[in-house]
Amino acid sequence: MQEDFHYYATYCAAYLAGFTHEESLDICYSAQLVDLCSRTFLSKIKAPLSAATTQLQLEMMEARTDLVGLQDITRIWSSFHFLPYDLFAEVKKGTSKRYKNKYRLICDTNSDLLVDTVHLAAGKGLPAAGIAMHILADTWAHRYFAGTPSLVINNTNYYFYEMLPDGQGGFTDIQISFRHSPSDPDDLDVYKYTNSLFQSKEHSIMNLGHGRAGHLPDYSFIRYKYLPAWGDYDEIIKDNPSDYYHAFCQMIYALKYLIGDIAEFEKNTYAWNEAKLYEDEIKTIIEKRQLNASADWKGFGEKLSGQEIEPFDLTKYESEYVNAENDDKDETFLGKFILAAMAQKSMVTNKIYTSGNLLAGYSIDFGEKGFAGIKDYQLLVKHFQKGFGI
Amino acid sequence: MTKWQRIKSVFIGILMIFIGVLMVFMGAEACSLIMIILSLSLTISGLKMLIYYFTMARHMVGGDQILIRGMIIFDLGAIAETLTNISQIYIMGYLLAIHAFSGFVEILRAVEAKRLDSPGWKLKFSTGIVNIILAVICIVFLRSTSIAVYLYSAGLIYSAIIRIISAFRKTAVVFITPS
Repeated sequence: MQEDFHYYATYCAAYLAGFTHEESLDICYSAQLVDLCSRTFLSKIKAPLSAATTQLQLEMMEARTDLVGLQDITRIWSSFHFLPYDLFAEVKKGTSKRYKNKYRLICDTNSDLLVDTVHLAAGKGLPAAGIAMHILADTWAHRYFAGTPSLVINNTNYYFYEMLPDGQGGFTDIQISFRHSPSDPDDLDVYKYTNSLFQSKEHSIMNLGHGRAGHLPDYSFIRYKYLPAWGDYDEIIKDNPSDYYHAFCQMIYALKYLIGDIAEFEKNTYAWNEAKLYEDEIKTIIEKRQLNASADWKGFGEKLSGQEIEPFDLTKYESEYVNAENDDKDETFLGKFILAAMAQKSMVTNKIYTSGNLLAGYSIDFGEKGFAGIKDYQLLVKHFQKGFGI
Repeated sequence: MTKWQRIKSVFIGILMIFIGVLMVFMGAEACSLIMIILSLSLTISGLKMLIYYFTMARHMVGGDQILIRGMIIFDLGAIAETLTNISQIYIMGYLLAIHAFSGFVEILRAVEAKRLDSPGWKLKFSTGIVNIILAVICIVFLRSTSIAVYLYSAGLIYSAIIRIISAFRKTAVVFITPS
């Protein structure tokens, strides 16, 4: 997903869930920040680098893909963009443990980890809610791919078709030929899309997430079918318009839980009724064939609240954080975002580790063994010891 | 990292430093040693790819091409090992490609970091320039055997140091049970 959904659509979902205009702005700001909070950004504001929720393209190009580097990459992408569906998934007999561990990181919707994610955000403020909404939305867009570099999971081949509605309830299939020039925008008129270059190395950064499927998972309008590398030659049909509508309604539901309107967040539950009145309008935006739906979502959001939705500005909360005294940083917007991001990363790493899978690295239970490991996480401990929940 | 992985990393790092230093003392004579290392790495890469196919890639759609690639690389490595008196120009070509690519990426990273006002851009830019200078040295001394050996040894020792530092890095993430 991209700014249109993470920022503008999230604003709409928050407003429909009952948050005020200002609160909705903070939630969607945080949701969009997840795609921009890189180590480069964090080093600029002198914040803990372990709070990174994404990696810039060039950061990835120079990222080491040794064991430690891979664990770092997996922690970031599995925690925030490709939440694993089933950490104990059964794989057919005869597969190696290495394969099994990768397979178990495949992202899908309505997982136990999603429930944990939403629970973790409860009572932690608007930045944590925004992070949770980013993760939730991405489970719909990025389903069937894993947040770890893996050829055997994330590769695709020539069997890749866009399904265009034929106006009679059916679809016409058009084969997609990908190109590998990252600077060229996708051309919807001639069905030309960009994807990452095929690399036969299992751990090549080109094989991270949906790189091999290009930006297709990020477009709400598109329907396509392909053979996932892990799927034993079974075709997958990805219906983004349906998935994005589900994501929108599940965000409203999750946000109603976070605001306190619902006692428990449950899987496979959606706020259909809250969106019902606007269903046609929302579906029209989602299905419109365009690279970026920001203007349409912005218009819809402004109609809902009657207020202007300012464009996303990465520097909006920077000076508040930079100028705060060290002891007060955690109380700033970015400080809360950083704490929530580290708590999420710590939680997902722990779940993966305790499932017997070391792809995201080691997790140390503070209650049992005290503090050890990456120093940045002392921030979480300090926060916990001050009496705040994690 | 497990303790065993850390020990292995340190051991390999020390071995790499030893070979690097040895080659510096051997001077131009180390050229054949470098060729052996490079051809051995090719053979091992091919072997690793074959193991990768049998343990993982055979489950993948289109995984057969990994088997074919593995066999070809393994064969190429085996052929390279049988060749003698290969010109050092190939070593220089290899070093040139590595340094030019690293330098290019580092400079791009520096430009990006500067655009985002990140203070780390100067270090990245300097590293990029050093790599580009090394690539230029490779072009200028394309036919110098001793320069090829020195550059290769320096790269080997640098990689070894990074490997050893990585082995001592704290990598675990603390987890606090949610209240």
